[in-house]
Amino acid sequence: MREQTDLRKNRRKNTAAICLLALAVLVLAFVCLFVGSSHMSLADCFAALMKRGTAAQVRIIWNIRIPRVLAAIIAGAGLSISGLIMQTDLNNPMASPSTLGVSNAAVFGANLSIIAFAGGFLDTGNHLSSYTVGANPYATSLMAFLFSTASILLILGLCRLRAFQPGVVVLAGIAIGSVWTAATTILQFYATDVGLSAAVIWTFGDLGRATYRTDLIMAVVVLVGLVFFVFLSWQFNALLSGDAAAKSMGVAVDRLRFISMLLASIITAVCVSFLGIIGFVGIICPHVTKRLLGQDHRVSIPASALSGSILLLLADTASRSLGNGSALPVGAITSLLGAPFFLAIIFSRKGEHG
Amino acid sequence: MLAIENLHFRYSRRGPLVLNGVDLELKDGEIGILLGKNGSGKTTLFKTILGIQRPESGSIRFDGEDLLKMNRRERARRIAYVPQAIHFGALSVYDTVLMGRVSYFGYKAGREDEDAVEAILRDMKLEDYAARNVEELSGGERQKIAIARALAQEPRLLVFDEPTGNLDIANEQLILSEARRVAREKGIGILTSLHDLNQALELGDRFFFMKEGKICQDGGAEIVTENVIFETFDAEVRIVEIEGKKIIMNGGQKI
Repeated sequence: MREQTDLRKNRRKNTAAICLLALAVLVLAFVCLFVGSSHMSLADCFAALMKRGTAAQVRIIWNIRIPRVLAAIIAGAGLSISGLIMQTDLNNPMASPSTLGVSNAAVFGANLSIIAFAGGFLDTGNHLSSYTVGANPYATSLMAFLFSTASILLILGLCRLRAFQPGVVVLAGIAIGSVWTAATTILQFYATDVGLSAAVIWTFGDLGRATYRTDLIMAVVVLVGLVFFVFLSWQFNALLSGDAAAKSMGVAVDRLRFISMLLASIITAVCVSFLGIIGFVGIICPHVTKRLLGQDHRVSIPASALSGSILLLLADTASRSLGNGSALPVGAITSLLGAPFFLAIIFSRKGEHG
Repeated sequence: MLAIENLHFRYSRRGPLVLNGVDLELKDGEIGILLGKNGSGKTTLFKTILGIQRPESGSIRFDGEDLLKMNRRERARRIAYVPQAIHFGALSVYDTVLMGRVSYFGYKAGREDEDAVEAILRDMKLEDYAARNVEELSGGERQKIAIARALAQEPRLLVFDEPTGNLDIANEQLILSEARRVAREKGIGILTSLHDLNQALELGDRFFFMKEGKICQDGGAEIVTENVIFETFDAEVRIVEIEGKKIIMNGGQKI
């Protein structure tokens, strides 16, 4: 039957698209390994990868570039699926990890740690070496994570008091987000010059902060989220028909929305806490994927994850090649690279998908 | 099949009662039609029956079982919903109908779910649409897909809110005849609301006149009289009989 072949053709197209994206991630990951400010040749890179180069080169590849590339893959995927899930949950194309004020709260937490505690809980001295690194290297990330989690729980808790309406969640997120931003501004007003610059630099997303340990923590959280979301693809598909229709089909809409918003926010909080603010990935990647492949979450979840990795890998490579010795803030590059592509997709003829 | 007793509902704690003691009974395979002004509580009643919102008091029983204590999935296998405003998301027609099976499969559709969907698409002559994006279809076609999705739930009762709200006359007839056909052939009961009283008379077995959150009259076609319509809608009509069929005409104000 013709319609059966059409269906099969659609499915094959989707599988092919996901395979192609996965291949692109692999290829780009290798390209990223070979690009950097240390001007190593291709042969040097290969040798270092096999642990046969000079000690410095082996360290550059194994201790700097590989954790960085892994961070790009993991955080790109995490931020992108968080955006996708929030857009579905809130039935709002502009929803993104920053909608619930997750990033604003993380910035406040990090600023508090850097400015008020000079990067570490135990050290209140005012010397440069303690900033951002601090007495405890995880203090800033931990504070960022704690505040963003507290912010999410506050908003979701407030929304649970009343019916969990998407519009209310978005408005509550904007309101709470603005409180964090205001608090950050006041904190920065009282900061020393050094503290202020350290705090501002923290907010520039930087994949260079990643280590194997942070990569592992991010990977666990993102993977749990990914598996959970893929598992619930059909429930998210039902949610596209609106709350009433989804409930009538047997979906526990409020519970689904609460748990998935919480998980998506935690994924973002973990990535942002370790790497700083990397904006726009959560908006660009899900939208491009949905426009090109449709809204079926069985396809759009893995495809968004992969396209998020691709965007972050590209942005990181660009930031390291353009920075003339030091990497430009990757968060700025994601927007610079992604926004024109995003606009091109929105205004192209293939714009029927939501 | 469906027995509702003394149902009360309000949207906010101090707000007015939108359902103010609704009593309603529908037998197996019957087509029941709710008639009433905008804001008389029809959609609210539908949503309460479907478990989309919880009533303040009263009982809803389905084949003797308490519907309010049933879990969502169990309920979805008994009662399906075709909402007034239909939107799906950019999925294929096939996947949209398959979505109706979610209360059966949960995570991954199995062979029997796919067989059920294929049978419904064949039965409703929608096979040629299977691979098409549901967002690209016309209003009438989407309405049909929504019915197909509801049927995929294999329900005993179909709740159909304003089925002809946004349709042209050809599609109105198509949707109503399709609704009647599935009700008769599959023995599925239908509870629906219609604004066009002539369409209601043509389709319905049982009529429920609803006013201010209450059912004020119910029964067969014989209860559809000029008086009852005036009491419910504050509108004067004239009813004439042609070849044993009641036809309702504008009887009061000039247009």
